[in-house]
Amino acid sequence: MHATIQKPIEDIISFLKPGEKVFVVGCDNCAAKCHSGGIPETERMAERLKKRGVDVVGWSVPGPAGVSLCKLANTKKVFDEQHAAEIEKADSFLVLACGQGLHTVIDATGGGFVHPGCDTIFGGETVSEGVILEYCQLCGECITEFTGGLCPLTLCSKALINGPCGGAKDGKCEVDREQDCGWHLIYERLKAAGKLELMDQYQEPKNFARWSRPRKLNVAPTEATFKSLAGAVTVRNDD
Amino acid sequence: MSNLKDTIEAGKFAVTGEIGPPKGVDLEKCLADAEHIKGKVVAVNVTDLQAAVMRIGSMAVSAKLIEKGIEPVYQLTCRDRNRLALQSDLLSAWALGIRNVLCLTGDHPSLGDHQSAKPVYDLDSVNLLKVASGLNGGHDMSGHELEGKPDFFLGAVVTPAADPIELQIIKMKKKIDAGAMFFQTQAIYEPAQFEAFMDRIQSFDVPVMAGIVLLKSAGMARFMNENVAGITVPDAMIEEIAGVKKADRKKKAVEIAVRIVDKVKPLCQGVHIMPLGWDELVPEIIEQASLS
Repeated sequence: MHATIQKPIEDIISFLKPGEKVFVVGCDNCAAKCHSGGIPETERMAERLKKRGVDVVGWSVPGPAGVSLCKLANTKKVFDEQHAAEIEKADSFLVLACGQGLHTVIDATGGGFVHPGCDTIFGGETVSEGVILEYCQLCGECITEFTGGLCPLTLCSKALINGPCGGAKDGKCEVDREQDCGWHLIYERLKAAGKLELMDQYQEPKNFARWSRPRKLNVAPTEATFKSLAGAVTVRNDD
Repeated sequence: MSNLKDTIEAGKFAVTGEIGPPKGVDLEKCLADAEHIKGKVVAVNVTDLQAAVMRIGSMAVSAKLIEKGIEPVYQLTCRDRNRLALQSDLLSAWALGIRNVLCLTGDHPSLGDHQSAKPVYDLDSVNLLKVASGLNGGHDMSGHELEGKPDFFLGAVVTPAADPIELQIIKMKKKIDAGAMFFQTQAIYEPAQFEAFMDRIQSFDVPVMAGIVLLKSAGMARFMNENVAGITVPDAMIEEIAGVKKADRKKKAVEIAVRIVDKVKPLCQGVHIMPLGWDELVPEIIEQASLS
């Protein structure tokens, strides 16, 4: 999921000009799970803004339940069928979702002007109710086959790919002594699995061309094409 | 040519020192530190934004040492440069007369004085060694041929007291395979532990220089024990330095260093003395430990 956290209300207020008519948008998937932009938070944001004198013309968390704001066709349909009049009045949209959802609102409103109501912080795993941890950088070239499924680009604060730096102490990272050294975790995991020899293998420098921005993915049921500065890569899933 | 390389290859015990470039352009103190050890050590390491604190660069200070007839070991970290800058800086260093390079990961920016800096780490230290070896071989990391190639003596670091040591040794082996020609270690205070480490790497055919950091005070020892990875100053040694008057600390620091050097000398191919500003004491250590 895309982990998000709301911006402080003072920052949000500072984005809005006096008299600006605002429509508030949330997301019923990731932002709902992060309590940054689900139905209760979006409704509450509308109230918090009104309380501070902002002209809120409406709010929406496009359904059906659990659907992501970033599904453009659905969001556009909900906006057109349920909120056309309010959206017509709006000068801008405050989006309580990730950066993808933010752009979806631009597309769904034919180029509407948006304000980010959240900071998008990482792609994460919900490890328990209320705790979201980061395990992947979306780098475009997964190397975890050699690290027991643990990503050193994420778990090592220096993103080292050939083993730890000399800074770990008692298995903790030099950056934060509360945080596990990612390479210590990888070592323990490979050792327990009897696969420590995987660590002997030299890892070539990352191909950052696959981590270029912006990237593009075209998908069909049996074929996908990923396009980055490293070129277009097409794979099939039915051979 | 590298005197450090020649010394090690001739089977002579090698001694290196170290200076830390200042924040600013006044090099008087730092070059005076190097003058203290000129002729006493075979080469002097020049640290690269040590502790992730912004300073004048290690390449400029290395070049200044060359002007003074002192051979530098140019320290180069992966923290601040991507692969273009690392390779370009290596070529520039060669053009300035630098022959020894110590390839390092680099302390994380969050430990220094520009904590919001973007950490680069485009390459890691193993990658850097491999890339530098490639430059020595006449090609860049994309395989393009160089017009004139360097011939660096490439070094790396290892922490003999790291826990788990197996993880350090796996990486050390990768560094050797990637082209490391010599190693300098993190500070050694427990020769027995160093001996155990040297036993474990017996099959590695690579020269190791034991790191000697002058113990300046009990406070410094406790700070390192708490904060610096791979350094353990034994309690007895802390009591020893705590037990002398401030005026006698330098004498005691020399005495402790000489004792450690005496113990590690038969185990390795050299020592790397990091005086942390007490460079004027290095000649005494060299003399008392019969290293000259």
